[in-house]
Amino acid sequence: MSRVSVPCHVKGTVALQVGDVRTSQGRPGVLVIDVTFPSVAPFELQEIMFKNYYTAFLSIRVRQHTSMHTPAKWVTCLRDYCLMPDPHSEEGAQEYVSLFKHQSPSMTFPKWLSHPVPCEQPVPLLEGLPDPSRVSSEVQQMWALTEMIRASHTSTRIGRFDVDGCYDLNLLSYT
Amino acid sequence: MSYKWNHVASLQRPEIKLESLKEDIKEYFKISGWEKKLQNAVYSELSVFPSPSHPAAPPEHLKEPLVYMRKAQGSWEKRILKSLNSMCTELSIPLARKRPVGEQKELLNKWNEMGTDEPDLSLFRPVYAPKDFLEVLINLRNPNYENGDSLSFRTHLGLIQVPLKVKDIPELKEFFVELGLTTGQLGIDDSTQVPPELFENEHVRIGQKVLAEQDSAAAQQYIRQGSPTALRAELWALILNISSQPEDILYYEQLKTNVIQHDLLVDSLIYKDVKLTASNDDYYFVFEDYLYQVLLCFSRDTSVLGHFAYNSASPPKSYIRGKLGLEEYAVFYPPNGVIPFHGFSMYVAPLCFLYHEPSKLYQIFREMYVRFFFRLHSISSHPSGIVSLCLLFETLLQTYLPQLFYHLREIGAQPLRISFKWMVRAFSGYLATDQLLLLWDRILGYNSLEILAVLAAAVFAFRAVNLMEVTSLAAAEAVLADLSTLKVMPLLQIFLFATVT
Repeated sequence: MSRVSVPCHVKGTVALQVGDVRTSQGRPGVLVIDVTFPSVAPFELQEIMFKNYYTAFLSIRVRQHTSMHTPAKWVTCLRDYCLMPDPHSEEGAQEYVSLFKHQSPSMTFPKWLSHPVPCEQPVPLLEGLPDPSRVSSEVQQMWALTEMIRASHTSTRIGRFDVDGCYDLNLLSYT
Repeated sequence: MSYKWNHVASLQRPEIKLESLKEDIKEYFKISGWEKKLQNAVYSELSVFPSPSHPAAPPEHLKEPLVYMRKAQGSWEKRILKSLNSMCTELSIPLARKRPVGEQKELLNKWNEMGTDEPDLSLFRPVYAPKDFLEVLINLRNPNYENGDSLSFRTHLGLIQVPLKVKDIPELKEFFVELGLTTGQLGIDDSTQVPPELFENEHVRIGQKVLAEQDSAAAQQYIRQGSPTALRAELWALILNISSQPEDILYYEQLKTNVIQHDLLVDSLIYKDVKLTASNDDYYFVFEDYLYQVLLCFSRDTSVLGHFAYNSASPPKSYIRGKLGLEEYAVFYPPNGVIPFHGFSMYVAPLCFLYHEPSKLYQIFREMYVRFFFRLHSISSHPSGIVSLCLLFETLLQTYLPQLFYHLREIGAQPLRISFKWMVRAFSGYLATDQLLLLWDRILGYNSLEILAVLAAAVFAFRAVNLMEVTSLAAAEAVLADLSTLKVMPLLQIFLFATVT
C-alpha cells in the first residue's frame, strides 16, 4: 500500500489567553494551529510530519464527522506529547518529528483518535521474514560480486584534488 | 574499508551447502579473526557518525540542527576566507601553485629535516587565534530566546549566552563513573607510594589481554581507567581502529608526493604555527620535523572531506585560475578543507611521543581530528562542541564555586577568558605530557570532550584560594599561567566525587 501526502491548509497561530488581559509580561505559553483538509475524501491517516521550532509539548485534537445525523465531535488524540525534554535548553528545539498511527492494523482512523497515544513514539510495523528463494538468489549475486572483487586489484582511492593536474588557485570563493 | 576477499576462495568447495551457508560463513569469520575486525569497524562507525536522524532532515540538519548556529558558523567562515584572501592579495602570493622541478627535488631531499629551514615568515600571520574565536562565541544569540538588554534572572552570568543543555555534577558522576573514588586509576593508584599489587599489575595484565583480543569496544572501556605507558600506542590504535596496512603506507606516500608537487599558502601558515608553538615548547621541539611531515600531508588529504557531513563547518571553495564560476573547475582549498589556526600543530605534538613511524602517526592524528579535534574550533550545539564545553565550564564554576565566580567576574576576569585556550587545545602545551596523555586516554575512553571542561573547572577549584586574593585579570592569569605541575586525575576525582557542595 503506497502512501501519499494529504494536501492540507495550515492556518496561522492563535494565542490562547485567559480573559482579556494583554500585557507584555503575560506572554501566552499556548498557541493553537488549525489544520484543515479541504475537499479530500475520507482517508486513513498514517503519519504527521513536521519540523519543530521551540514547541515543548504538543496536543492534537481532531474533529471528525461520523455520520449525517450525529454532530461532529472533537476528540483528543495526543495530549502533551513531549518534544523538548528541557524546554529551557535547545534539546529538540528544531528537530524533525514524525507521529505515527498506532501499531495495531485493526485500528481505523476514528478508533485511533479516541485512544490517546502515550509519550513514547510507537515503532513502525516490523517487516515479515524474507522469502528463502529470494535470499538464495541474492547470495548467488553476492558470490559473483566477491569473484569480481577478487579478480580486480585492491585500489584505495588516492583522492585527486586537482583538475587535470592543475591546482593553480588565486583566491577563495565566498559563495 | 579495503578488506581482501582472498580468504573467501577457501569456501568454494563442493561440500559447502546452501542450507548451512549462513552458519558456515559465521563460523569462518570467527576462526579467521574477521568477525572481530568487522565488529571493530562497525563500532568505529557507530562512535564517529551521528545516530540516524529523521528521513526528512536535510544534510545541513545533520551537520548542525540549530539554524542560528549554522548561520553563525557560516559568518565565521566567511571572515576566515576574507582574512586569507587579503593575505594573498597583500603578499601577492597565490593560494596554490605547482612547484618547479628543481624546487621539488630540493624539498624531497630535505623531507626529513624541514625544521632546519628558516624561511622568512615575518609577513605571514595566523588566520585567527583562539581569542578571536572566543569573541564570536560570546556574541552567539538564539533569536528565539529573550535575554533582554538589562541584567535579569534570565541572563547568563558567564560569557556564553546560548541555552545549550549541559550535564550537572550528578549527571557527570554517572557519566564518568569509572573515575570514582572506589575505582583504580592510572594517574592516581600507580603512584610510587601505592604497592603495584593493589591495582597496577592487574590493570596492566588486563590491558595485555584486551590487546590480545583485539576488541575495540573492550579497549575503549578499559582505557577509562587509564592506559599503561607501554600499551598506550597500541590501545589508541585499536580504539581508533587504525591498523597500518600496506595501502595506508602507500596512501601516505601519495600525500607526500602531493606536498612535493604543489606548494600551498597554508604550508606557510603551518610552518609559522610550528615555529611559534611546538618549536618553543620544551617537550615538543624535538618533534618539529615530524610535525611538518604530518601537517603538510594532512592538508592534501581529500579523505578528510568526509567528516564535513557531521561537522557544522564546510570546506572553503576556490576555482582554478581563469575559470572563476565554472563548476567543473571548482575545487576545495586546501584539499582537506581545514584551514589551520594558531596552535593547530599542538594537536599533533603529543602523539609524537607514541608513534614514530610517519604514516602511523599520520593516521592516528587524522582519526583523532575527524573524531574529536574538529569540534574544538567549529560552532555547533553538539555536547562535545566548544560552545557546550564553554557553557559546561561556566555552569560548573558558577554552581559549585559561586563565590569564586562572582569575585572573578567583579574584577573583570571572566573565568572563560582564561580557560578557553586550554580547552581549544585540549590542554596540549599546558599540562606535562604524561598528564596530557592520561587526559586524552579518557577522551578516547568516554568518546567525549566534556572532560576538558570538567578539568578546567577542577583547575580553578584547585587554585581557588589564590584566585580569591587577586584583583585583576592579569593577576588571575598569572595564578593560572603554569599548569605543568598539575596531576589531572586527582584533580578530576576530587572535583567530581569529593567536593562538598
